[in-house]
Amino acid sequence: MIASGFALLQGMEGMQQGMEGTGGGAEMQMGRDLALIAPEIAVVLTAVGALIFEMLRLPRVALPFTVIGLLVATGLTLPLLGTETTAFMDTFRIDPLSVWAKLVLLPATALCVVLAHGEVKDTDREGTVYALLSFTTVGALALAGAGDAMFVVLGVLLASLGSFALVAYPRDDRSTEAAMKYLVFGSVTSAVMIFGLTYWYGATASTLLSELGGLEGVPLAGAAGLVAVLVGLGYKAAIAPFHFWAPDAYDGAPLSVAAYLSVVPKVGAIFGLVQVLRDLPASGAAGWPLVVAILAVLSMTYGNLAALAQENVVRLLAYSSIAQSGYFLLGVVAWERGELALPSLVVFAAAYAAMNIGAFAVVMLAGRDLDDFAGLGRSAPATGAAMVVFLISLVGVPPLAGFVGKFLLFGAAIEAGFLWLAVIAILNSVLSLAVYLKVVVPMYRTPKEAPKHSGPVRAVWILALAATVSIGLATQILLGRIA
Amino acid sequence: MLPMVSITTFLPLLGAALLVALRGATPRVAHGVGIATSGLTLLGAAWIWARGAPGGGFSQVEEIPWIPSLGAAYRVGVDGISLPLVLMTTILFFVSLVYSARVRERAGSYVALFLLLETASIGTFVALDAIVFYVFFEVTLVGMYFVIAGWGYEGRGRAALTFFLYTLLGSLPLLLAILGLYLASEPNTFDMRSYINSPPLSGLAAMLALIAMLVTFFVKIPVFPVHTWLPLAHTEAPTAGSVILAGVLLKLGTYGLIRFALQMTPDAFRAAAPYVAALAVFSALYGAFVALAQTDLKRLIAYTSVNHMGYVVLGVAVAAAADPGVRALALDGAVLQMVAHGFVTGALFLLVGMLQERAHTREMGKLGALLRTVPGLGWAFVLAAFASLGLPGLAHFPAEFQVFLGTFYVYPVAVVVVLGIAVTAGLYLRAMQASFLGETSEASAGMKDLGAREWLAAAPLLVLTVVLGVAPFLVLDVVHATTEVLLP
Repeated sequence: MIASGFALLQGMEGMQQGMEGTGGGAEMQMGRDLALIAPEIAVVLTAVGALIFEMLRLPRVALPFTVIGLLVATGLTLPLLGTETTAFMDTFRIDPLSVWAKLVLLPATALCVVLAHGEVKDTDREGTVYALLSFTTVGALALAGAGDAMFVVLGVLLASLGSFALVAYPRDDRSTEAAMKYLVFGSVTSAVMIFGLTYWYGATASTLLSELGGLEGVPLAGAAGLVAVLVGLGYKAAIAPFHFWAPDAYDGAPLSVAAYLSVVPKVGAIFGLVQVLRDLPASGAAGWPLVVAILAVLSMTYGNLAALAQENVVRLLAYSSIAQSGYFLLGVVAWERGELALPSLVVFAAAYAAMNIGAFAVVMLAGRDLDDFAGLGRSAPATGAAMVVFLISLVGVPPLAGFVGKFLLFGAAIEAGFLWLAVIAILNSVLSLAVYLKVVVPMYRTPKEAPKHSGPVRAVWILALAATVSIGLATQILLGRIA
Repeated sequence: MLPMVSITTFLPLLGAALLVALRGATPRVAHGVGIATSGLTLLGAAWIWARGAPGGGFSQVEEIPWIPSLGAAYRVGVDGISLPLVLMTTILFFVSLVYSARVRERAGSYVALFLLLETASIGTFVALDAIVFYVFFEVTLVGMYFVIAGWGYEGRGRAALTFFLYTLLGSLPLLLAILGLYLASEPNTFDMRSYINSPPLSGLAAMLALIAMLVTFFVKIPVFPVHTWLPLAHTEAPTAGSVILAGVLLKLGTYGLIRFALQMTPDAFRAAAPYVAALAVFSALYGAFVALAQTDLKRLIAYTSVNHMGYVVLGVAVAAAADPGVRALALDGAVLQMVAHGFVTGALFLLVGMLQERAHTREMGKLGALLRTVPGLGWAFVLAAFASLGLPGLAHFPAEFQVFLGTFYVYPVAVVVVLGIAVTAGLYLRAMQASFLGETSEASAGMKDLGAREWLAAAPLLVLTVVLGVAPFLVLDVVHATTEVLLP
């Protein structure tokens, strides 16, 4: 915690310097800027409201309030579609990437809030969980729209602080240990990131990401900052080799929190990575696209191979989410030279959010162990069938959402001249079939016991299933909106 | 016009969904749904057959755009090569489900899996979009895995896994080949017709794509040396599973060989034809000789499949190298061989299954005098075995004759493959002598002959074997219209 606090302080100092650098005139812009971040403000108010209802001992109100607040924030985002501008003196970007991040992550957060209700209802601090989830989402959104190095730091810290508390929520040994690992890992990587970013600041005399072009010809400082950013955001997105916390944290945390962590901060960090790298000169020291491509290969391959060895479904999904981060990176790699990069990242983010939250929802009903899935397909055919859909969508089987997202990512990578990367990704997808079938196969054995029943969780998987199928079938409509 | 191709493809899936919805269905209801659905599907296939494929090109095409900007769509249709295969598939699934009506153990799931397999198999044959093809191709694999793992004999777990891993890894190269075709097509599309009409790849790229496709399809067919999963899968699979595996799933490989390798990379295939032909000859002979060494009847039939499919591969290789007249001849033979093998091997596996149910063994040495104890089963087996060894007047003869004739024109040396017929004749005669003639053994004493359900399953295949043998033109006319115009 001390390290994080220190990091936060450093971040704020940097923010002041950034403001000095760009000069005054901020007040005149304030009204417009506030309108542009209306969705984020709505989320913050939602979080505060959830806390207030908790303090008023009205936990029953906190849940609908949070869900409605998040949906209102989603609605407030819609008018911003197609906008391409910046707010707060270029430090925050309102572009298709950040707008679509909101459109994907806010509903995803709402689904996770409903999932969390199943686990924390009637415990004390129920509303706190909803508030923390909302605050963490603000961090992820800050990352996805970052236009300034300090927003990157702020986003990582905001997304992390809430996550630590969420993982530790059950207050038992496992969750405490998981949260501790997560915290220590996060503190170190955040410190490394801030340290590395100072090189960029030193070389460009600005914390603005749009000034990163000034790194051309300063390869060492450029490389130092690149490594630092990859460490910091790679940690948040659970990209190998910065993933070590993920399986423990997911397994120790409540399942709804695991579902949340595997989707919202990850997508935020990946989009944040794009915001940083898009302005970075690609020519220096072997070029960042190649570095990111290597991380992608590492993440996909390691994630799938490690998932293959798991006997615990949550850990299996944790490693699978590391592999999915690798696929995400294909879109990042392609950003420089590919028209498809933006649509591929957005579609895959939406697909990934739907199928991963859906899969975790079914895990909440069935249980954490592979053995708990024995016979699920027979004792609860609908839930079982939904799980099969989520898993084969994670593999990337047409016509489901996962296929379309991956297909666009592979296309983007090929378009950008990374055919070898696309081939490795395709081979990994087929390998992942073995991973997910590990869960499917026991589902059709003799049932052991019927799964739990929970209305809200059922509603979540039904919504996730609808999204998984419809994103797959109606991709063309989505593509038309993004372009 | 009714979209009969899609209706026929997805009708079995509908039946499977119905069975999943009716989860406490008694075995009786489950088998009723299964037989009714596969019967309707058979009628649908007959309807498609009646509409035919005039002109030899793709007809009855049904298309729904999906992601137009990426050239991905749902596209299905038939031509003279897929038509007989679709009809054969629906017939084999129908008789398999009729035969399976005694399966009591988890009957609902069993029937649902078979119906899923049927949709996937028909879908593979009618797909005109590379993505659709690949997905159906893979679903057959998953479906068969579950059939073997769920209802097989003692060593089923290992057999199912071997089958699954083998064919899953085997299908990877095809995916890469499709990617290559997609990237090279202009504009980028997954439309298989576009790949066929103007093959997008040439030179080294085409050769690499061809090699990738050959690997995938050789595993599925299977061709020596990647056939090792087949005997294992067959010995452990339940009877109806074996019928489908040998009768339908192996054809997916040879069908892909024609549809993808021959039609999409014709020049590369022409260059590689001598090597493919040599491998096919070796594989056919190898299959025959190894079958000769088997004492387990089911393994014996499994290895004769390697032999028969070797002839199909040989026919396709000859077609790749030959000029149009001979090409049509060899391809006619190859396609007819696929259909004949489906019916004949289907019948053989059914009969061995019925035998095993009675005698609880498949060892030739433990059976004896079956013609006397169970004359119906015995004579049915003799008929199917004679068809399998290529007796004139039965299904395999016209097919193999055309393949050999085409081979003679193009690679006279390769005619040594005829030796395979002699070996097959020898092994079947030996099997008949050991099991069907001679003294009554302990295992075969007191057996009952075939019942009505068993006749209902086996008789159609035997009748078709004879019909194909005496009137091969019924199928050949349709096939020939396409093979004549197959390559530009």
